[in-house]
Amino acid sequence: MEQTKKWFANGYLILVFVILYAPILFLTAYSFNSGGSMVGFDGFTLEWYQELFSDTRLLIIVLNTLVIALISATIATIVGVAGAVAIHNIEKTKYRSMLLTLNNILVVSPDVIIGASFLILFTMLGISLGFFSVLLSHIAFSIPIVVIMILPKLKEMSPTLVDAAQDLGASQWQVFSKVILPYILPGVFAGFFTALTFSLDDFAVTFFVTGNGFNTLAVEVYSLARQGISLKINALSTIIFAITLALVLGYYFLSTRKKPKTLGGTD
Amino acid sequence: MKNNRFARLALIPYALWIVIFVVAPLVLIAYNSFLDIEGHFTFANYGKLLSPVYMKMMFNSFFYSLIVTAVSLLVGYPVAYFISRTKHKGLWLILLILPSWINLLLKTYAFLGILGTAGPINAFLEVIGVGGQQLLFNDFSFVLVSTYIFIPFMILPVYNAIEKINPSLIYASRDLGASNWKTFQRVIFPLTTDGIMSGFQLVFIPTLSLFMITRLIAGNRVITLGTAIEQHFLVTQDWGMGAAIAVVLILVMAIVMFATRKIIK
Amino acid sequence: MSNTIIRFENVTKAYDDTVVLNNVNFEIERGKFYTLLGPSGCGKTTILRLIAGFIQPTSGKVFIDDKCVNTIPAHLRPVNTVFQDYALFPHLNVFENVAFGLRIQKVKEAEVKERVANALKFVNLEEYQTREISEMSGGQRQRVAIARAIVNRPQLVLLDEPLSALDLKLRTEMQYELRELQQRLGITFVFVTHDQEEALALSDEIFVLNKGIIQQSGTPTDIYDEPINRFVADFIGESNIVDGFMLEDNLVSFANRSFECVDQGFNQNEPVEVIIRPEDLEITTAELGKITVQVDSILFRGVHYEMSCYDEFKNEWLVHSTKKVDVNSKIGLNFGPEAIHIMRLGETEAEFDKRLEAYEE
Repeated sequence: MEQTKKWFANGYLILVFVILYAPILFLTAYSFNSGGSMVGFDGFTLEWYQELFSDTRLLIIVLNTLVIALISATIATIVGVAGAVAIHNIEKTKYRSMLLTLNNILVVSPDVIIGASFLILFTMLGISLGFFSVLLSHIAFSIPIVVIMILPKLKEMSPTLVDAAQDLGASQWQVFSKVILPYILPGVFAGFFTALTFSLDDFAVTFFVTGNGFNTLAVEVYSLARQGISLKINALSTIIFAITLALVLGYYFLSTRKKPKTLGGTD
Repeated sequence: MKNNRFARLALIPYALWIVIFVVAPLVLIAYNSFLDIEGHFTFANYGKLLSPVYMKMMFNSFFYSLIVTAVSLLVGYPVAYFISRTKHKGLWLILLILPSWINLLLKTYAFLGILGTAGPINAFLEVIGVGGQQLLFNDFSFVLVSTYIFIPFMILPVYNAIEKINPSLIYASRDLGASNWKTFQRVIFPLTTDGIMSGFQLVFIPTLSLFMITRLIAGNRVITLGTAIEQHFLVTQDWGMGAAIAVVLILVMAIVMFATRKIIK
Repeated sequence: MSNTIIRFENVTKAYDDTVVLNNVNFEIERGKFYTLLGPSGCGKTTILRLIAGFIQPTSGKVFIDDKCVNTIPAHLRPVNTVFQDYALFPHLNVFENVAFGLRIQKVKEAEVKERVANALKFVNLEEYQTREISEMSGGQRQRVAIARAIVNRPQLVLLDEPLSALDLKLRTEMQYELRELQQRLGITFVFVTHDQEEALALSDEIFVLNKGIIQQSGTPTDIYDEPINRFVADFIGESNIVDGFMLEDNLVSFANRSFECVDQGFNQNEPVEVIIRPEDLEITTAELGKITVQVDSILFRGVHYEMSCYDEFKNEWLVHSTKKVDVNSKIGLNFGPEAIHIMRLGETEAEFDKRLEAYEE
């Protein structure tokens, strides 16, 4: 009885995860198809990878996407840390929850709303649509998520740690740099990587606020896909997937192996 | 550290961000919704929203979003539950999150091939004798791909809610004579309502606003609020009308947030 | 340099409408071990935080070394604190935790090494320099916290219920160590606790606090033997408190009889409260006792039995004795004149001191 239940549970999980990965594996498989379409596998080839690497336009777009992601995540993390510290230090619950509500608006807002409203904003401010407007948008929608990732860390930190640092002579800046920042660092990293993910994953907002001549990968794929299928895209997805997989699994094994010892010390 | 100069200084960039990128955009959307295509003040946009065409579009949009949310919950809840019972939770979770690092456009693009007339699903249907079907460009493909995209956002909050349950509650329930199923029904499920509500927020609202799936996969058969907004802003350039629909979407969002938060409390 | 290190002048601290410290005045002298004793919410931790500079008084002045420090922030005050939850920095190891204050002062590396090593030696942790905080036990963390405070050579160490998280055995051990440490260092310790036994064992001086007011201050024996009011008597050790009145000097009446006592300076027939400590009551037969009581319940406390008894006027009498008696039996209680302590109703500390001085001469 227990055994069949276990089989069912495992079977179900595996099925769902196979479906979850099917599209990615599908893309990967066809990236090696010499047939030139995602119909029928004619033979193995690396031709699409060659074509991808000789397509400077596409490579520049990939580079744009990465640059936007890195810069926006970095700036969003800095502003987000400041925001989280500021929110945490507001003593009146009323103001704190008001700021938090404002903070969360962009997190729950649908992409189209963010995209459309930013489009109006940039047009009104006279900011031309392109690299700069996309960068600003990515920073803007990443900030609240960084704040959300850091706040719990700040909350969990015992206030006596700050007292202790002050007591030992640390100035306000030293309290922040020597105690608070190291303490919330995991949250800061989590925030940075989530911001990175949000930026790399974004399509809708960028689609609204980008202009001629500047594209991120998602927007490019959208226009390519509307024209039909190109196996260069498959090759590109495969490379992206391989890199993410390596990074994530590497991180997982490192983090499980280096787990801090929780031994109670012996006297 | 409370109330010091450093924290007040930190508030400046953050407050600037709130004013420019949170408050101003909302105000601008609301303002634009009262402008016609020439920039004159009008209520006409809201008038048009009440016309049968728009009412039907909005109804459809809600309807399909609800289906997507329901399917995500039905498929996703057991996944969350089973993961919480496995040994290597961390690994399963990473495997769950991993696909979301692949841009969703790429995944959507993959479905063009999978569901295509010459794709593997159709090939399979041929083999088992059902015969080829047009799987793309209809409401089925919309629901399928949307569910595929959003299901992790249902699984994660439900999983977190299950993990938060104190294991002694489950022992207590067993101790009081409840079977596994009864324990699930009377203890675990009620305690995961929070997670389900967060999942609802995270799936329902984004599905309302999807537009690229409707364009690429559903062949414009399903028009969501998002599609309509995109259409007005980027195709017909009628920002006023687009903004009016956006206001509706924002209101729906506010209502959903409020309603689910009430339940959460 | 005057011998007073801390002085509070009419210090009041209020949050919104709640007054947590009400017009408090006291002085703390160099080199002694002080304890602030009281139930939770009595204001003892508030006093500590005012001295450390984490909070500012609503009114009144705090002096350190005869300088008003109201406007001086915590990081510039010559005091260090040992926190209740230790507040050790989880991202730093033992050495770096202790070195934190020295690094802030930009002390030279060689000196840092030496002073940290010395401080850790002081608390018997010299072998643990490179350990992570998460690898240390509760008692060890406690010692790291102490080392971290004393390494900066403060004139005053504040200890906020530092032993409350430890188990009984470790706690007693740490009490000895703390007392010894204070004497070796010769600096002032201000110790906060709600544990009266701890206070009695450790202190040179105790301040008993309740409801934001210092109820009584004095040496442990003063406070134990001559509690000023019902609160102090109840809080410091177990007490039997019954109502009575003074017939004349050295004669008090309670439980419908008059007894010889050693208290003077009262009005005739003044109503008073009478305290007799449970360990001062001696069990005898019903016939021989000064008062007769019936045993209601009995508990074995290890060193002694604790009997709860009632006299015919429904006064409860708690008795500590190594003798065991039967429940429901009638016994007699004996006590000498010195065992009786008389408290005047609503007497302030100043009046109390004056009266004591008057008849001690």
